[in-house]
Amino acid sequence: MTSTRYASPSYNGKIKAKAFRYIQILLCTLLTIGCVFPLIWLVDFSLVKANELFGKNFLVWPKKPHWENYYLALTDGKVPQYLVNSVIVTFVSVGLIVLLSVMMSYGFTRMKWKMSKVFLNIVLLGFMIPIHATLLSNFITFSRLNIQDSPIALIIPYVAFNLPQATFIMTGFMDTIPNAIEESALMDGCGIIRLLFTIVFPVLKPAIMTVIITSFINVWNEFIMAATYLTSDRFRTLPFSIYNFAGMYSSNYSAQFAVMTLSALPSLVAYVILNKHITKGIAAGAVKG
Amino acid sequence: MDKIRRNKFVIFFLVFPGLLVFTFAVLYPIFMSAFYGMTDWKGIGEFNIVGFENYRKVIFEDKVFRTSLLNAAALAFFTVFIQHPIAMFFAIITDKIGGKLESFFRAVFFIPCVISIVVTSKMWVNVLNANYGLLNKFLEAINLKFLKQDWLGHKDIALFSVIFVIMWQGFGYAYLIYYSGIKGIPEELLEAGRIDGANSWQQFIKITLPMLKPVILVNVSIAITASLKQMEPIYLMTNGGPGTRTQFVANYLYMLAFNAQKYGYANAIAVVFVIVCLITTVVVQNIFKSKD
Amino acid sequence: MKLLKKSLAAVLAIALLLGMSACGAEKASTSPTPEAKTPETTPEPGKEQITINFFSNLPDRTAGQGLLEQTIIDNYMNENPHVTIKVEALQDEPYKQKFQSYVASNNLPDIFNVWGQPAFFQAVMEKGYAAELNPDDYKDYGFFEGSTTDFSYNGKLYGLPRNQDMTTVFINKAIFEENNVKIPTTYNELVEAAKAFRAKGIQPLSINGRDKWILNLFFQDLVIKVSGNQRTIYDASTGKTSFASDPDIRKAAELFKGLVDAGLFQDSFTSADYGAAQNLFLQEQAAMFYMGAWEVGMASNPDNSEHFRQNVALIPFPVVEDGKGKVTDVCAWNGGGYAVSASSPVKDEAIKLLNYMMHPDNWPKIGWQKGLVVPGQNYKNYMTGNENVLQVQLTDILNSATSMSGTPWNDFNPGDWKSNVENLIQEFAAGITTVDEFLTALDNVVPK
Repeated sequence: MTSTRYASPSYNGKIKAKAFRYIQILLCTLLTIGCVFPLIWLVDFSLVKANELFGKNFLVWPKKPHWENYYLALTDGKVPQYLVNSVIVTFVSVGLIVLLSVMMSYGFTRMKWKMSKVFLNIVLLGFMIPIHATLLSNFITFSRLNIQDSPIALIIPYVAFNLPQATFIMTGFMDTIPNAIEESALMDGCGIIRLLFTIVFPVLKPAIMTVIITSFINVWNEFIMAATYLTSDRFRTLPFSIYNFAGMYSSNYSAQFAVMTLSALPSLVAYVILNKHITKGIAAGAVKG
Repeated sequence: MDKIRRNKFVIFFLVFPGLLVFTFAVLYPIFMSAFYGMTDWKGIGEFNIVGFENYRKVIFEDKVFRTSLLNAAALAFFTVFIQHPIAMFFAIITDKIGGKLESFFRAVFFIPCVISIVVTSKMWVNVLNANYGLLNKFLEAINLKFLKQDWLGHKDIALFSVIFVIMWQGFGYAYLIYYSGIKGIPEELLEAGRIDGANSWQQFIKITLPMLKPVILVNVSIAITASLKQMEPIYLMTNGGPGTRTQFVANYLYMLAFNAQKYGYANAIAVVFVIVCLITTVVVQNIFKSKD
Repeated sequence: MKLLKKSLAAVLAIALLLGMSACGAEKASTSPTPEAKTPETTPEPGKEQITINFFSNLPDRTAGQGLLEQTIIDNYMNENPHVTIKVEALQDEPYKQKFQSYVASNNLPDIFNVWGQPAFFQAVMEKGYAAELNPDDYKDYGFFEGSTTDFSYNGKLYGLPRNQDMTTVFINKAIFEENNVKIPTTYNELVEAAKAFRAKGIQPLSINGRDKWILNLFFQDLVIKVSGNQRTIYDASTGKTSFASDPDIRKAAELFKGLVDAGLFQDSFTSADYGAAQNLFLQEQAAMFYMGAWEVGMASNPDNSEHFRQNVALIPFPVVEDGKGKVTDVCAWNGGGYAVSASSPVKDEAIKLLNYMMHPDNWPKIGWQKGLVVPGQNYKNYMTGNENVLQVQLTDILNSATSMSGTPWNDFNPGDWKSNVENLIQEFAAGITTVDEFLTALDNVVPK
């Protein structure tokens, strides 16, 4: 009897804690629905006939999935071709961003020269410059140089606009690591290029991971520069396929939804596989940025 | 060894490629825009130099430019005072949930951020469509028919719909940053609070919030500058309409250059836009610094 | 973890290499500038391989005008194996943006779509971007009288129109019948119809208000029906009279507002683009659809449901009670057409292609007989009796027309007039501005 007496407050407390926990989980579940339900709706209606969208139900059960929507997306939507373009542009851009930002950061933090702070600040200024302000004049410049309508016209600005953040993350990280190993390597007469690749890169791994992830997301999803600088179909990147396809199949919503689903898929799959690294990388990048 | 650290050639080799790309694609175009902004170029044929006339018009006369800035301010306001508290709230409760569920929710909340803005914007255009959209159908299904709206077409609602979509898309970022901030609070501090008998609310006010301050500052300043720079969702959802009710600076200058053939004027806007962004960032940073 | 990073690094390195070599290779074979003429394609004996870049505003290549354009292009390539035609197609608004950017960078494709309207084409002709055409080539092409006027500048011809354009009210007879609504012939009946459909939860009329220009046309139709004078709106647009003080224009603006208030346009019309608006009508969710005559192909497109094709029809724009305009005063013009770039390296070949396309046996004949368009060239000889209902009705209206407007008022002045008046009418239609504010704002943007 006595035991219940003493136990009761903590028993109540336990119930309360349990209740709290369920409320917390419930709220999170609601938010989960808010985050993914529109996407489920999208996938759902990509599997039915276009006119079912005008029916009463807000979800339908595709008794017989209309895979031909996906067939259209793959053929006329040219998703595979755009995917390849996206992969090429993204990998080259991200590779260059990493390489250049490591080199620059090393130059800014470890090399001794008068103007290093000034130049570092100039690069960091890029944080604040909206990409859209450069669209008009870059377009003219690129066409004068005859590099518009080639992957180069995307890679250059993608690299340029991701450099400030990358450099910021790299310099921040470099400041926290001691340079004893480099010192001894340099003493041993190691050249600067070998030093970079054999010593600096491995040490910077976490920062590089962060840079890869943040710039990958930026570059992979970029739309307005791709829409402005590229003209012919063969170099277009994935985000553009939806835009293009919407014109061609303006009356077929299901097919449009199929293209949207397919374009969202690669980054979604990558995210599911790498989600721990990605969330960690983003958080690290943002807090430092 | 110090010699190699001062070697001009090595420094040049390290820094030049990056600087070159950056200068070529970021700085140079802004100088060019400053020049184009002083012309009456229509994007076709020759042009005349008109001096600072365009800049004067942008700053003192252009009502649409002003609307665009106000819309950005509205977006920043809603992001900071609605999206962020919600994001922080969920960061705290996911932290409490713990275990597999915690990682699951954390992963899911970030999903909208990894999907291309083109997909999400086009998706929301369909969700918000007044005729067949998911939202209106949902309202009808739960007997809230009277709430049905012309979400993107109504003059007084469109802006809020656009703001909502942008907040939806960006929620994951705000959430993740708060989440990692909370993870950074030492467990002992919270434990100490608990032993002192602080309830959840007191614990939040006395411990969590002060500890999160640096993260909040970073997050808020990111939100404000990002609000200024919005373009794709507007371009893809409303193109600034109805009228100019949902116009944002970047979309406005794009329209002027490529639809209205006011290439020179649009470039003037681009330059003013850059200056506004710089000033905003500096002001925000200074306010936060003085508060720190 | 380690493996992952290693593999990532490897992939990255490979991609880098691939990317570099790909860029290098692609660079060599891009634009058909003379010096970049690809040496790797082995030229056929006799004829050199050429590529013509074709820039079109008809992205849907499977129906209507887009299908017609693609059909003719395919025919041409079959007949001329040494010619490759590369088509880039975008919807109207993106097309205009992209066109502008091509012009700004002096990179126009070899052959492109133009609108024969001062707002669009005049500057292009004036600055010498379009190649001059030889009018003698087209003596026997049967272009309607005056249809090439807006494609000419200083007495020289720079482009060819493809269609006879006219604003058209498409209707779905079944929706009218099922709901016992009278097909409107007058303004008041249109208001009644709008209210009746609204009461039953049906969208009365679908319109692509996001594209704005369509609203200008609708307004012009109202002005014509009120004033009975095609000049009224142009006189105000050029500053001879004023929008705010012209009683007919004011009346038309009030009528326009009356229709908006009656809920004539579908929900979300200000955010509906061309495809969305048309789709609503094709899916039989809206009773009417306001669009140009170039959509007559809807009645023969097999992708549209049988039920729809049997019930689609068109009506003349309703007259206004007490208005001076007759049902035969129509808003019609020659809009879309083609021109060739003056700086094209394959200019002569592009002109050959243009002449082939617009040849009486091709665009007008195939287009008319397949029920895809109403050509801007004489199509009387191609009557087969199998025309779809829309073609027949449209021909009737055109044949009985007593006056035609010419270039729509929003395209009438060059410069930023177009974007100004299009923004203003969208604001007005969305209920942001009043009649007074709308008309005064129009007067303020009239070029002085």
